[in-house]
Amino acid sequence: MITTTDTPSVPGAGAAQRRPRPGGDLRSVEKPRSGARDLLAALPWISPALLLIVGVVMFPAAVMFYNSTRDISVSGIDKGSVGFANYAEVFAFPHFWPIFLRTIVWVVVVVVAAVLISLALAQLLNKAFPGRRIVRLAVIIPWAASVVMTTLVFYYGLEPYFGIINKTLVDIGLITTPEGYGWTRNPPTAFAWSIVVAVFVSLPFTTYTILAGLQMVPGEVLEAAKMDGAGPARTYVSVVLPHLRGAVAVAVLINIINVFNSLPILKVMTGSIPGYDADTIMTMIFKYIQVQQKIDVASALSVVSFLIVIVIVAVYVRVVKPMKEV
Amino acid sequence: MKKSQRFAAIAVATTASLSLAACGFSESGGSGGDAEGGSTSLNLLVPSYSDATQSLWEEVIEGFESENPDISVNLEVQSWDNLESVLATKIQGGQAPDIYNGGPFAGFAADDLLYPAQDVVSPETFSDFQESFIANAEVDGTAYALPLIASARALFVNNELLEQAGVDAAPTTWDELLDAATKISGLGGGIAGYGMPLGSEEAQAEAAIWLWGGGGTFGDAEKITVDDPSNLPGAEQIKKMIDAGATQADPGSTDRSPLMDIFVQGKIGMQVGLPPTVGQIAEGNPDLDYSIVPIPTRDGSPFTLGVMDQLMAFKNGGDKQEAITKFLDYYYSADVYVPWVQAEGFLPTTKSGAEQLSGEASLKPFLDVLPGAKFYPSTNPAWSATNGAFKSLFGQIQSKPAAEVLAEIQAQADAG
Repeated sequence: MITTTDTPSVPGAGAAQRRPRPGGDLRSVEKPRSGARDLLAALPWISPALLLIVGVVMFPAAVMFYNSTRDISVSGIDKGSVGFANYAEVFAFPHFWPIFLRTIVWVVVVVVAAVLISLALAQLLNKAFPGRRIVRLAVIIPWAASVVMTTLVFYYGLEPYFGIINKTLVDIGLITTPEGYGWTRNPPTAFAWSIVVAVFVSLPFTTYTILAGLQMVPGEVLEAAKMDGAGPARTYVSVVLPHLRGAVAVAVLINIINVFNSLPILKVMTGSIPGYDADTIMTMIFKYIQVQQKIDVASALSVVSFLIVIVIVAVYVRVVKPMKEV
Repeated sequence: MKKSQRFAAIAVATTASLSLAACGFSESGGSGGDAEGGSTSLNLLVPSYSDATQSLWEEVIEGFESENPDISVNLEVQSWDNLESVLATKIQGGQAPDIYNGGPFAGFAADDLLYPAQDVVSPETFSDFQESFIANAEVDGTAYALPLIASARALFVNNELLEQAGVDAAPTTWDELLDAATKISGLGGGIAGYGMPLGSEEAQAEAAIWLWGGGGTFGDAEKITVDDPSNLPGAEQIKKMIDAGATQADPGSTDRSPLMDIFVQGKIGMQVGLPPTVGQIAEGNPDLDYSIVPIPTRDGSPFTLGVMDQLMAFKNGGDKQEAITKFLDYYYSADVYVPWVQAEGFLPTTKSGAEQLSGEASLKPFLDVLPGAKFYPSTNPAWSATNGAFKSLFGQIQSKPAAEVLAEIQAQADAG
C-alpha cells in the first residue's frame, strides 16, 4: 500500500532518464554528436556480425535471386538471362496452388499443435514431482537426435511387412491386411504422419521456450490471484498466459520459419510417392533440383517461398502483435 | 576501455581467420591442378554401388599411386541419390571432377565438358571394349564415355511359393505371369504374387521392363517417344496386374530396394532382379529356394533391360589428360578391372573381362540374356529429364489412366 503512493513520482523520473547516467549535465554536451559518428564509433564492435550477415545471409540470397533469372543447363552451365521466365514456369505449374495450400496447412497445423501440446507439457514440467529432471531430459531427446534419424524411425515403423507400428495395428486387429497398410505409400496418410513427426520434433524447443517463460511468472502475482479467489483455470488464462506472451511469440515465430523450411521429414516420409499430391513448396524445390535438375526454376521457387515466409511472419506480427508489452 | 578494445581485436581477428579459412577450404576442395612439387592430382567422383565400393576404389587408387608416385588421386564417394546434384553443383562452381562415374552423359557432351573417350585411354584399352557397349556411349559417332559395368535383369522366382500355388513352370508370357501371380497372391498371409516397384527409386527400370516387353520404346538419341501408342500395351498390362491384385499393395509408391528385401524374406512370388541380387539372397536368406529365368514378355520372346554405367573424363582446362589416361589404362587392365567388377557383382564391359568371367555360374543367367539387352536412350540429351520424369510420375499409373501418365512424362521430358 505504501508503494501506491510512491508510484506516480517513480515512473515520471524513470521515463525522463531511463538509464542512470553519470552527471545529468553531460547529456546536453553529448547531444550534438551526429548519428553517423555514433555509427562509426560502433562499427568496430558490430562489423564482425555485419560481415557474417552479409557473407552468410545476404550474399547467398542475392546469388539465389540472380540464379532465378538465368537459364542454367542440366549440367549447371549458365546460358544467359531469361528475365522472369522461371517465375512464370513456377506459377504456370498446374500443381502449384495445391502445393501452396498444402504448405499453409502444413505450417499452421504443425505450429498450432506443437504450441498447444507444449503449453500443456511445459505446465507439467513446471510442477515439482519426483523424477522431474529425468522427464525434462526425455523431452529434449527428439531435439538432440537428428531429424532424419527420428523420421526414419517412424518411416520404418510404418513400413508394411516389417514395420513395428503396422505390426502392432495388425496384431490388435485394427488393420485386416496381414502385411499392414502402406501409410507412407499414400499421399494423405503420408502427409498426416509427416505432421505427426514434425510436431514431435518441434516439441522440445517449444516446450523449453514456454517453460522458460513460465519461470518468469512472479510467484507473488500467482499468490495474489489465489488470494483474490481465482480458480486454476482463471489463473492460467488471466495471469499465466499474458506473462507467456513473449515466450509463445518467440516459439511461434521460430517454429513458423522452421516448419515452413523443413525438408527432411517430408522428403523421407513422402519421397517414394509419385506425382505431387503430398508435396509442399520445400519438397517441390527439392524435386526441381534433384529430379528435373532445373536449378534456375528451383531458385525462382526459393525466392517465392522466401517472400511467402516474410508475408506470413509480417501478418503474424501485425495481427497478434506478439512484441507488445503486457 | 582496454578490455573492450582487446575484444574488438579478437573479434576482427576471428572473422578474418574465418573468412580466410573459408577461402582455403574452397580451394583445397577444387581441382588442385599442379599441387605440391609438380605432381598432378586427379579428382574422382563415384557413386556407391555397395558397402564395399569405397574400399574397392581405394585399393585401385593405392595400386595406381604406387606405380605412379607423381599422380595422386582424391576419391569422393556419393550415394546415387545425391550423385547428380553433387556433380551439378561442382560443375556450376567450376570444380568438376576429373573422372566421374555415372549414368547419363549426353548433356555434358552437349555442353562440351567431356574428353572424347579415345583421348583418355590407349588404343589397346579402347579396342578391348565390347562394340555394342561403345556404340551405346556415342553421341554423333564419337564415344564420350567409357563403359564401366553392365547389368542385365532377369526374373527371380520363389520356387516354393510357385509350387504352393500350384504353378508348374515359371511364366514366360504376360498371360502366364498374370495367372501365376494372381494364384500366388491368393495364398494369403500377406504374400504378393509379383513385386512391382514403381516408386521413385527406379521407376524407369520397371517401366522399361513392361513397356518394352510389350514392344514399346522410350525413343532414341534424337527423339524421346514415351507418349507413343507402342507403349500402351505394356502400361495397360501394369494396370491389369495391379487391378487383379497380383502385385504387392501400393506398387506406385514402392521403392525397389526395400521390396527386394521382402522377396529375399520369401514373401513375394516373383520379382525382377539384378546380378547383385544373387549375393543379397546368399547373405540375407541362403535357404531361399529360387531360380532365375528370363523376363516374361507379351509374346514370350526373350528380352532384358541392360543398364550400363560409364566413366567420363571432364576437361577442366585440359591440363590433366595424360594423368587421366594413365589412370584409366591402369584401371581397365584385366588384373585390376575384373576383380573390381566381380566384387561389385556386375558384368564386365571388356572382351578380356567377359572371357575371364565366362565360367561363373551365378552370372550365367545374366550373361545369357545380355545379347538381347535393350538400353535406355541415354545418349539423348533429354534422357536425364525423361529419367527424372519417370521417377517422379510413372507410379501414378496405379490410379490414373495409362495414356495420361505417359503424356505427362513426355511433357516433362520435352520441357527439360
